[in-house]
Amino acid sequence: MVNRNLSAKMLTRGATKRRNVELEQIIPRSEGRGALSSKLYKGRSVIDDFRCSGALRVLFPRTDQDLSAILINTSGGLTSGDIFEFEATAQKGSNLTLSTQAAERGYRALTGSAVTQTTLSVEDGARLNWLPQELILFDGCDIERSLTANMQGDAQFLFVEPMVFGRTAMKETVNRGRFLDQVTIYRDQILLYFDRVRLEDDLKNTLSQRAIAQGCLAMVNLIYIGPDAEAHLDTVRSHLPITGGATMIEDDVMVGRVLASDGFELRQALLPILDLLSQNTLPKTWRL
Amino acid sequence: MATVARIVMNMGIQRIMTTDPKLLTLVHWLSPSYPIGSFAWSHGIEAAIAQGWIEDDQSLKEWLTDLVQQGSIRNDAILISLAYGTTDYDTVRNLNATARALAASKERIREAERQGTAFAKTTREVWKLNLPDLMLPVALGYAARLQDLDGQSLTAIYAQSVLSNLVLAAQRLMALGQTSAQTILLELTPLCAELSQDVAHSDLDDIYSNCFLSDVASMVHETQQPRLFQS
Repeated sequence: MVNRNLSAKMLTRGATKRRNVELEQIIPRSEGRGALSSKLYKGRSVIDDFRCSGALRVLFPRTDQDLSAILINTSGGLTSGDIFEFEATAQKGSNLTLSTQAAERGYRALTGSAVTQTTLSVEDGARLNWLPQELILFDGCDIERSLTANMQGDAQFLFVEPMVFGRTAMKETVNRGRFLDQVTIYRDQILLYFDRVRLEDDLKNTLSQRAIAQGCLAMVNLIYIGPDAEAHLDTVRSHLPITGGATMIEDDVMVGRVLASDGFELRQALLPILDLLSQNTLPKTWRL
Repeated sequence: MATVARIVMNMGIQRIMTTDPKLLTLVHWLSPSYPIGSFAWSHGIEAAIAQGWIEDDQSLKEWLTDLVQQGSIRNDAILISLAYGTTDYDTVRNLNATARALAASKERIREAERQGTAFAKTTREVWKLNLPDLMLPVALGYAARLQDLDGQSLTAIYAQSVLSNLVLAAQRLMALGQTSAQTILLELTPLCAELSQDVAHSDLDDIYSNCFLSDVASMVHETQQPRLFQS
């Protein structure tokens, strides 16, 4: 719908169809695929299996303890027709931290959605930290994102996916766009957490609505599954702005939702929380 | 005279025919006097008012509109509709897990779980149904299926009963007169009818919520002091 509206606005009716065909031919599609698994070897977490192709690259910075991987989208952003698929497994007893080199960008998309799909598995006694930097949406974006995590037994999991609707410091505004997002977490095959967002068309107006965001332009979902989750609840709450909340949906499952006026305010709230919950192993790319 | 009597009699019959007793069962289940304790839950409204996110008639109406059009009330209606549409107990159990996983906070889980359990207990005993304890929307949909009631009426009446309960909660928490409260409900009523049509043929893929601040409200309510409501 959005694409049709945008192109109709920009082009005369007669030229629309021909022009869209041309655009489809001109705009290069980015595809990126990757898979990574960690295992415990002589008391350390190391790479077990790794492959990647297309516009997805992975860096492995040296760290003292856990295996850390930094994902890079070499195409520089997400637009129509892009497909990114990534799978990661933290095998029994191993620790794996995943982040991105920089914020991801969802650019104006004229001929369909960009699709990103992530599948994470965390085995018994393992821990996985999924800590991508912000997804920054631009006017006219069209993104379908989904993440599924499969937890086993006493696996631990830290998850954040921060979002920014236009960089206010750059005077960018997201008026229209489409953003579909889904996060599904299973533990021992039982559904534990399910969240789906569907923001379409007039995003600026939607985000200004009462029960939605009252004009906040940045938000994050925070999930932490671990035996110490409840012990950290009060500290996490103390770092939240008034438009943020945290709760325990199970004895060891903390869920938070934070809204902030912009990406900067969101980061300020998020950094101490991520330091706390990641036991100070937040990848350095977060502070560059 | 005979003609008049016949007309009166016909009207009488017609009236009896159009008032389906099954509809009355739905109204019975969703009336404030049905012992599920709905009066104790504000669905985050108490926190939203304390934070100033809801401050007057207009903002209360906007907040509730969001819940119906792209939030928890819409998702509940979908869950009711899906639970109503099945006789397979495994599907019902999966829907119950979805209802639980969708709940934004500890208090949201409790709200749906405790009301659902209370609903199932009374309905099971009074109607002699094989109805297990389920989250409220799933319990309602499944019970309506077991009693062969009208699913579309159920979602509309459910949405209106939730809104009515939340407006009542707001009346206890902010300056909101009787007339304004009932005016808000009147204005929201067409949305309930629209919603029940929209969700009649929906599936799990139609579930979503954009009501982020409503989720935050239900989370911050946990630490709010003093408070009147359990959510």
